[in-house]
Amino acid sequence: MPEPAIETRDIVLRRGASPIDERVAAGSIVGLAGLDGHGQEAFLKTLAGLDRPVSGEVRFERHAVTGFRQAVARGIAYLPRDRRATGIFPALSVLDNFAIATLAQDVKGGFISARERRARFARYAERLSINAPDWSAPITTLSGGNQQKVLLARALALAPRLLLLNDPTRGVDVATRHVLYDVFRELAREGMTLVILSSEIEEILLLCERVLVFREHAVAARLEGADMTSAAVIEAMFGRSAA
Amino acid sequence: MGRIVARLGGIGFAALLLLVLLVVNVWLTPGRFQPSGWLLLLGLAAPLIGAAMASTPAILSGRGGIDVSVGPQMGLINAILIKVLVLDFGIAHPLVLVPAALLIGALIGAFNGFLTTVVRIQPIVATLGTYLILSGVTLTILPAPVGPAPVWLKSLAGPLAFLPLGAVALSWWFISRSAWYDQLMAVGSDDRAAFTAGVPVTGVRFFAYLLSGIYAGAAALMLSALIGSADPNVGPTYTLIAISAVALGGVSLAGGRGGLLGAAVGALDIFLLQNALTYFNISTFVLQIAYGSILVAAVVLTALQTRAVAARVQHV
Repeated sequence: MPEPAIETRDIVLRRGASPIDERVAAGSIVGLAGLDGHGQEAFLKTLAGLDRPVSGEVRFERHAVTGFRQAVARGIAYLPRDRRATGIFPALSVLDNFAIATLAQDVKGGFISARERRARFARYAERLSINAPDWSAPITTLSGGNQQKVLLARALALAPRLLLLNDPTRGVDVATRHVLYDVFRELAREGMTLVILSSEIEEILLLCERVLVFREHAVAARLEGADMTSAAVIEAMFGRSAA
Repeated sequence: MGRIVARLGGIGFAALLLLVLLVVNVWLTPGRFQPSGWLLLLGLAAPLIGAAMASTPAILSGRGGIDVSVGPQMGLINAILIKVLVLDFGIAHPLVLVPAALLIGALIGAFNGFLTTVVRIQPIVATLGTYLILSGVTLTILPAPVGPAPVWLKSLAGPLAFLPLGAVALSWWFISRSAWYDQLMAVGSDDRAAFTAGVPVTGVRFFAYLLSGIYAGAAALMLSALIGSADPNVGPTYTLIAISAVALGGVSLAGGRGGLLGAAVGALDIFLLQNALTYFNISTFVLQIAYGSILVAAVVLTALQTRAVAARVQHV
């Protein structure tokens, strides 16, 4: 087994829940599934350092994750779920929305270089096929799918080694979804580790090598390979009672 | 280009009003608006412009960010400079007084920043507390007006009136090209999103209050230059009128939108309005009614314009 990119050492998400002991290998794509509010989001946020576990420890590349900003500095990027509430800045331009997490990269001689920022964004605009006619216009002029791509570009600009995606294709059209899937696979091939929370089981089956199904703030099932079927995931989500 | 248009967008009405008021003023009092009198006029308008610009960074930082203590800060610094440093200690050199003004402003700004970002008191309450403390301290140091101010300081309201305003404008020009400026606008427009994007929200906000304090120090120099003395009662009157100017200049009191240029244009509007109305010998009570009406009208018009733009964007 290769060196794990991120591991959780007996983390407990909620008092009384079973501890979670997981290792995610570098360059793999792992899915998180579960009925809404069963801990998969808390797990993802704990990996990002946004939430603190009741007990246990998250370790990224052998360093403990102690907080969000420290996690970002170590090479973790997090794409939030609620694009409107915690993702975009509606009043700011497409370019500024893209650059906000990586401002230092635009600084030339102490000042922000608009040209450098455009050049940086151009690379991601092409790779993610972002359809934005005017980069200086407010981000709200873009479609939901393109706004999401700009947020993904923002996260990728951090050059993370671990990308945490919180329902990345929610409210995104089918064509854009497939562009995103291709990008995710390519990123994993380049060695990035991806953990994807999705409310759509098909998406997880399509993308992930392994899925963790959450129930009552603990991992109810770990499925991979031939065991990873829609039926098995649903069974685990409902605690095998509804199957 | 788009960036410039986006920045000027909110100023629209204030700029239009400025044009109208300029025409009216030149027509009413052509003598005062001779090119030879421009610097004098600038000196007259400077404290209000300075106070409006000082109020802006805190307001831009969002989540109710505001510094209502700007006026009393100007008053206290005015009192310390003239009464304590010049008259009591006999220190009148610009290289002492100017840094002293900015430093005291920075200290008060840091205190406000500490209260609002670290202790997390609501900005209006925290800075209202500072307002009262500073007003009291000023009256304790200086119960009655004294003077005069050094000659070089007075010249900042005459032949050198462009200097303090120019310095503030230049510093803001540099700041608006820094990473901190982008972070400030992001924090002001949505602090949760900014945090998730990895912006150090607390630090960015703290610096906004610090900057408001430093600019209040600059505004105090402009005030001291204009009145040529130390007066404990003038400073606090600038707070509300400065906030009116900021709102008039298209700076969103919700944060994240606007800039120092808009605040300065808004302040000039109020100054010119004052100038035009005093020509008709109108009482200061009526003057206040006029300020209030124009402010409400401008804010409503700006809101309508913003909504119209938003509607157009939705249709694209």
